[in-house]
Amino acid sequence: MIKNGLASFSRRGALALALLGGAALSGIAHAQEKSLTVALTADAVILDPHAANELTGNIMFYHFYDALVARTPELGFEPGLAESWQVVDDTTWIFKLRKGVKFHNGDELKASDVVFTFERLKKALMSNLVANIASSRAIDDYTVEIKTPKPYAVLHMALAEVLIVSEKYTKATGDEQMGLKPMGTGPYKLAEWVKEDRIVMAAHADYWRGKPKIDKVTFKPITNPATRTAALLTGGVDVIQDLSVRDVAGVKANAGFEVITRPSLLNMVIAIDTREKSPTIDLPTNPMRDRRVREALVRAINVEAIRTVVMNGFATPSEQYVPSSHLGYVPGLDFRKTYSFDLEKARALMKEAGFEKGFAMTLDTTNNRYVNDGAIAQALAGMFARINVKLNLNLMPRSNFFGYIRAPSDKSSFIMSGWDTPSGDAGNMYSTLLYSRGKKPGFGQANRGAFSNEEFDGWIDKADATADIKQRHAFLQEATKVATREIPMIPLHYEQDIYAAKKGIKVVPRMDKFIWAYEMDVN
Amino acid sequence: MLGYLLKRLIQMIVVLWAVSVLVFVMMSFTGDPTYMMVPLDATEEQIEQARRLLGLHDSHLVQYWRFLSSLAQGDFGRSFVFRQPAMQLILERLPATLEIVSLAMAFALVLAIPLGVYAGANPQRAGSRAVMAGSLVGISLPGFWLGMVLIFVFAVKLQFFPSSGRGPTQEWLGLRVSFLSWEGLRHLILPALTLSVGTLAILMRIIRAEMMEVMKQDFIKFARAKGTDRRGVLFKHGLKNALIPLITVFGLMLGDLIAFATLTETIFAWPGIGKLLVDSIYRGDRPVIVVYLMFVAFMFVVVNFIVDMLYALVDPRIKIK
Repeated sequence: MIKNGLASFSRRGALALALLGGAALSGIAHAQEKSLTVALTADAVILDPHAANELTGNIMFYHFYDALVARTPELGFEPGLAESWQVVDDTTWIFKLRKGVKFHNGDELKASDVVFTFERLKKALMSNLVANIASSRAIDDYTVEIKTPKPYAVLHMALAEVLIVSEKYTKATGDEQMGLKPMGTGPYKLAEWVKEDRIVMAAHADYWRGKPKIDKVTFKPITNPATRTAALLTGGVDVIQDLSVRDVAGVKANAGFEVITRPSLLNMVIAIDTREKSPTIDLPTNPMRDRRVREALVRAINVEAIRTVVMNGFATPSEQYVPSSHLGYVPGLDFRKTYSFDLEKARALMKEAGFEKGFAMTLDTTNNRYVNDGAIAQALAGMFARINVKLNLNLMPRSNFFGYIRAPSDKSSFIMSGWDTPSGDAGNMYSTLLYSRGKKPGFGQANRGAFSNEEFDGWIDKADATADIKQRHAFLQEATKVATREIPMIPLHYEQDIYAAKKGIKVVPRMDKFIWAYEMDVN
Repeated sequence: MLGYLLKRLIQMIVVLWAVSVLVFVMMSFTGDPTYMMVPLDATEEQIEQARRLLGLHDSHLVQYWRFLSSLAQGDFGRSFVFRQPAMQLILERLPATLEIVSLAMAFALVLAIPLGVYAGANPQRAGSRAVMAGSLVGISLPGFWLGMVLIFVFAVKLQFFPSSGRGPTQEWLGLRVSFLSWEGLRHLILPALTLSVGTLAILMRIIRAEMMEVMKQDFIKFARAKGTDRRGVLFKHGLKNALIPLITVFGLMLGDLIAFATLTETIFAWPGIGKLLVDSIYRGDRPVIVVYLMFVAFMFVVVNFIVDMLYALVDPRIKIK
């Protein structure tokens, strides 16, 4: 079986070579060629990095394209296409491009390509990626000047999500074909894409970091979790994404394979309504305006029980709204310690606030978007019942959910959803989710609980007024302290990513989930 | 004949139009797909820009009108998600589905005819009872369960077949097919088998029931009396007269398998069109759903047309009007 698998790999290898014209790769003997097959949960829908934002697509984009700044697996930031950058004044940045970077078609990367990318993004579906770029210009072929609309100390971190396209190629190819024929400076070029079957990539020999160790990478979409496990066990694929929790023990027991886990960036959070009157609570005033009630709710949730019982151990309880790698994280501050699970205390707080008899409200969440989302909701209902809060569940498929809960969220009191901040900066999350609504354009647009706190807004304003990253960090930490005190939102846990691979394959799980073959190796 | 064709054509247009209206109305009740495409922290302006890019800023009525008028020019619209022509998305996945469905139907027919005839001709024998009991099991087995069991037994344990995916493909009459190579065939067998079981069971039961009916007819007695051998009686006189309902059900099952092989395709990671439909519903990708269902309706009309033609062929008493 494994033998057959290998035979089919090399046949595909031959096909990929033929497609590439073979000029660069024909000299490589087949015996030395390293190849890797990875099973993902879905196929990419479009290979234009400016037209979509979903996980499989993102994984592909970073193989074909690069950004000015690169993100490490641990969410550190290091020079990418830009070898250095400096902050000239509060709103001006200069990025120096690496010389001699080659696109897949042999053209050299120029500053004009970077400027073109920003302009193209402004008109694209993913325009939010360049919301913090007011204007940009090429000073010379290798120098780009960027103006931000206001001081923005983390511009370089935001730019790690902006993938650079070739001006000449993009104009010649057109938007529709860009979705099918990606061409960038990345470590791999597209060899073949058979929809819903496979995406085959070949190493880009002139890659600026050096030629990739693996010559050919194949991504196969296998949606059904049990089928994915079977494909790994039968040797059809080498690595799988999202190993099903119930298969973990079985795969671990098999000596030929290993299981790799790591906490993801996705924080499950519950937004609490703080408006005067709450849509699903049949009381003249919203009890959750009282901080004591919010604290009681947090103390009634047994996050550890959710982790062990609902999540089978594959979750990491959240300490704060952002993980420790982020700007704005406060070392030593832990939601789970500040508000430890304590039903007595919770009941006492409810009594103190005058809600000993409790109240009823509705939790809005998804039933097909996050790991065990429906089961977590049921667990919460059971836990809140013990402090006399009756939680009615309104579970929706995700196609309805995101429109339903959208701010001003006038149908919701209590919303559970996931939030991740790959930018590595709490400011992004805070200004979107917790900044007062309607005070400044572009702020509080997803503030679903209508939380409004002068002190909190003040720290965010300060953070946004400095171009110094250390100061920003300090201001955001203050904001984190205020939010932890006021509890506008309950952080629950981070989901865990689970991969499985054949022994001998080096898998580097990334915090942002973007499997990257350039970091991997096959023995 | 010409009148018949014309009538069928008008019928088809009405059906297609009704399907398109139905999908548009249904989709207006599900959420706005823009929200699933923009990032969660998108501002109102960014959402508005995305809506304009997708053509979702107009009212449903205007959107429907735009759909109809571009349809008149042969443009079926483009997917919100893939940003590619919706028809092309379906057509590029279609060969894979046709391939497993053809093989599944072939499996089903090859087994159902002899088994059904045998069970119908000898209803009292133990063998017939076993066949009937087996067919009940076949009908009741959920496809996803059977698929998983087949993968576990034949791929993971015995390693006879690959667990999933489509094998290497070759170009054949302009289509990408995988049945031309041994490796490709090996990939085909488990999904086709899974898909065929339900159909096999139903076809077999129909053949049996019809055969039992036909075998009581006078012409069978006459055939026997004139000395036709048993095989001739069963297949030439018996089966041929039992064919009409078989053809009808076969046509319907064929359409059903092509359109909704979704579960089997998902379990075997088979790159067919069934998965496209489910994914599109999941993503609120209305243009694909509309074109998909119109395509399915079109296919059913065509299959039924062929079935009508076959009636006349098998039974000369039937005239197409």
